Amino acid sequence: MSEITSVARRRAKSTSARLKTVLKNLFNLGNLRGLCAIVVFVALWQLVIYLQIPYLKNLPYPRAVAHDAAGAAVTSDYWIHWGLSLMRIFIGFIAAQVIGIPLGLAMGISRTFKQFSFPLFEILRPIPPIAWIPLAILFWPTRELSIYFLVFIGAFYIQVINVIQGVSNISVSLKWAAFSLGAKPGDIFWRILLPGSLPSIITGMTVGMGVAWNVLIAAEMIAAKGGLGRTTWESYTNHNIPFIVVGMVSIGLAGSLCSALLRWLGKQAMPWTKKF
Amino acid sequence: MTNSASAGDRHTAGDFGEVRLEGVSKIYEKDDDRLVALEDLDFTVQKGKTTVLMGPTGCGKTVLINLIAGYEQPTTGAVYLDGEPVREPGCDRLVVFQESALFPWMTVYSNVTFGCQVQGMAEKEIKQKAKAILNTVGLFDFRDKYPAHLSGGMQRRAELARALINDPKIMLMDEPFRGLDAMTRQLMQDFYVRLYEKEGHTNLFITHEIDEAIFLADRLVIMTFQPGKIKAEIEVDLPRPRSFKMMATPEFMKIRAQALDLLYEEASKALAAGRKSAFDLVGALATTKDSCQVAL
Repeated sequence: MSEITSVARRRAKSTSARLKTVLKNLFNLGNLRGLCAIVVFVALWQLVIYLQIPYLKNLPYPRAVAHDAAGAAVTSDYWIHWGLSLMRIFIGFIAAQVIGIPLGLAMGISRTFKQFSFPLFEILRPIPPIAWIPLAILFWPTRELSIYFLVFIGAFYIQVINVIQGVSNISVSLKWAAFSLGAKPGDIFWRILLPGSLPSIITGMTVGMGVAWNVLIAAEMIAAKGGLGRTTWESYTNHNIPFIVVGMVSIGLAGSLCSALLRWLGKQAMPWTKKF
Repeated sequence: MTNSASAGDRHTAGDFGEVRLEGVSKIYEKDDDRLVALEDLDFTVQKGKTTVLMGPTGCGKTVLINLIAGYEQPTTGAVYLDGEPVREPGCDRLVVFQESALFPWMTVYSNVTFGCQVQGMAEKEIKQKAKAILNTVGLFDFRDKYPAHLSGGMQRRAELARALINDPKIMLMDEPFRGLDAMTRQLMQDFYVRLYEKEGHTNLFITHEIDEAIFLADRLVIMTFQPGKIKAEIEVDLPRPRSFKMMATPEFMKIRAQALDLLYEEASKALAAGRKSAFDLVGALATTKDSCQVAL
């Protein structure tokens, strides 16, 4: 009996200890410094309006933006826009990884395949994703599909290039060592080439995610129904200036949320890069 | 790959590992550049002995190791291991590379057991062997660490363990202690000489450092600068077990003076020829050519 309670107590203790560490991590000096910069930025924004600096007179007060944001946050519409944008990002982005990573690996590993595919790839790559908008709209049966496609294009080329680079960066002595130790081609792929190119894959994802958001917002403003880009644009056409800023801040938050997710993913996938 | 080295068929280290090179040349050609790295080389690594190879940078020492390991093929001639021609890399000849070739994404344990894993050894047996070898190199408590979290000396010991666990017939040591600080280097030399004196495995060891060479060697082989040939062989008959104190003995000094004279001749030639560029060419050709060969 006493054993059970002691276990329970220990467990309770560990939860409260965990909460303590979470709070400690949240309010460490680094984060407080970051918060400080945000506060200063808002103060400057307020100051700019207060001083009536020319060309910036249409800027809404931080207070008005905060008011609109608070109002929006309790409506389901606002969160539907978030959901729509995030869904478009994830579908396009994941498709880009699912197709881009194997393609990059194949191009990095097989010289013959690279000789076939790389020239075509290099001609298509410089076409900005935005330039694909007209064709994407004509080509795909629904607007949603064309937006997925555009996001895909945004993340795809960058990932392929990164994976090729990642494979070629793996030192030849690692491959030699593995062969000597009796590795077969399958082992070389799964145990050497794939983990060896993982840092580049994660970089490709991080950069690709940035471009994907760029493309998504442009595509939404031009072609979409709903989404954070669209709602920002509609605020402009409705001359609802505070809500333009709400939309922009929302996009910024959504983007940094995605980056944080990738950073976390990178850390989980590559424990060997951890620094002490 | 016959020595999957289960407990039963473990050979006695030192009974195997005789490497014979017969008329071996290695010539790199690319466009108009032509580099004769090794020319008509006849050379034997005696089994159960530590053969140390010295020579100026660019004399083809690393190429020699690559040929024995099977990473590269000789342009002419052939390499034999215990009478069998060498055709491809195998775990009977294991290399400890100049720069660490530990897999950065694997823990010490996974690195050390990599050979056993890919050869399909039973998990229980792997665990047993790993424990023994990790204890030998003093890394058992560090088995779950990644290479980046180890000191230079520990990395070298992990790499030694990764080779030794496979019970290779010959260890090919390509300047393994280069880049370590003086103290760690000395500790590693001492560690290595003890290990050799205990296990007696066949060794081919490359180094630039004369004292390290004599301290470890049964036989010291000095190579000429381009094209790489054998210039001289010196028997090092210092008694074993070796100790650092021997470095002050007249016998040691005599061998040292003899070897330095020979090395100096070759180093001067290398310097006159602008060895840096020559070395770079070998390096560039070796990586471009052979990386494609061993890539899938």
